[in-house]
Amino acid sequence: MAETSAEVTRLIQRVALRDRSAFRQLYQRTSAKLFGVTLRILKDRAEAEEALQEVFVKIWQRADRFVPGGSSPISWLVAVARNHCLDILRARRPTSETIETALEIPDSSPDPEDRTMGRDERARIEACLGELASDRADAVRGAYLDGYSYEELANRHNVPINTMRTWLRRSLMRLRDCLTG
Amino acid sequence: MSDETDITTQPDGERALVAEYVLGLLDSGQHEAVRAQIEADPRLQREERLWQWHFSALDDQFGDVPAPERLQRLTEERLFGRAEARGGLAGLWHNLALWRGLAAGALAVAVLAVGLATMMPQPSSTQLATELVAALQAEGSDVQFVALYDSESGNVRLVGLSGVAGPQQDFELWAIQGENPPISMGVIEAMTRNEVRVGPDVAPEWGPGSVLAITLEPEGGSPTGDPTGPVVAQGAATPI
Repeated sequence: MAETSAEVTRLIQRVALRDRSAFRQLYQRTSAKLFGVTLRILKDRAEAEEALQEVFVKIWQRADRFVPGGSSPISWLVAVARNHCLDILRARRPTSETIETALEIPDSSPDPEDRTMGRDERARIEACLGELASDRADAVRGAYLDGYSYEELANRHNVPINTMRTWLRRSLMRLRDCLTG
Repeated sequence: MSDETDITTQPDGERALVAEYVLGLLDSGQHEAVRAQIEADPRLQREERLWQWHFSALDDQFGDVPAPERLQRLTEERLFGRAEARGGLAGLWHNLALWRGLAAGALAVAVLAVGLATMMPQPSSTQLATELVAALQAEGSDVQFVALYDSESGNVRLVGLSGVAGPQQDFELWAIQGENPPISMGVIEAMTRNEVRVGPDVAPEWGPGSVLAITLEPEGGSPTGDPTGPVVAQGAATPI
């Protein structure tokens, strides 16, 4: 696993230097993973195929922004794919007025960059999700892994949309306390 | 809309916004507003990284789904295809996507492609004096290469059109001339361009009818100096 990770990091760094053979290898190593992401979120094969190509175009264009040592290289690639799919879905959903409220954030968000993702961290988010009511934990997972909107989550859980919002925001804050506690 | 009220009246509503942003739960107006604020504030950037980092622990739950093979070619075409197609013969040579697109009936099409390419205006000095071309393939194998011999450089250029070696395996190129035992021309890479020198051991007999063969060998090439694995592609050099 660590070896794979180091290898993918090297490939991304070579892609940043415009190495096409590295790009080809990176594609061969990671396209199944990223197709899994685009397919799961977009839930339509043709769209997922189109999105996968766009994702790899973005990876080629943005490889120089990857910072090794922080998140795992696979997580970085998954984030590019996931965010691309979410952009596609978001563009189809209705939008509200821009919010005016300035964000307030606790003074010290612990910086995760100096830790690498390992088994402990995976166990930790599962443990913290486990402390939430199971339907709320499912909603958080559904948002991250399936890209569900509040509306979709509300329909799936059969609650009004505002209830879902409230649930999820509270759950996220509890999750944060647990993860950073 | 009751969104604004919700955000300000819910305890921790504002703090949850970055998490909602990372999860992709905000609509486009809110998403853009939060993105702009994050961009302007290192503390918010840290909060974003925090969430991104923790959620990425769930990434294992995205299963692998093999993508259709053509998508790789299409992606490369998007990135490199058009620019390279304009680059004359050198560009044509470097246009892997084009070669891969020609994989069917490789020999006939390769000859045609080279013929067309040499008629194109050549602004550069990289014109190939291609004299021999070979399509390498074999029954029951998906390995296909096209080879061009350029007498000026004395090199064989090979493009892998399809087929990859397995883990801990490599493709090795051999020259077979008449009844002589195969002579290794070295390990070559799949699915890309290779430039292989026709060495002094091969050169004396090299010409039309010389056979290029590719075998599947242990990583790093045949340990004995003779082919040890199956022939996955071969073809005879043909003058053009």
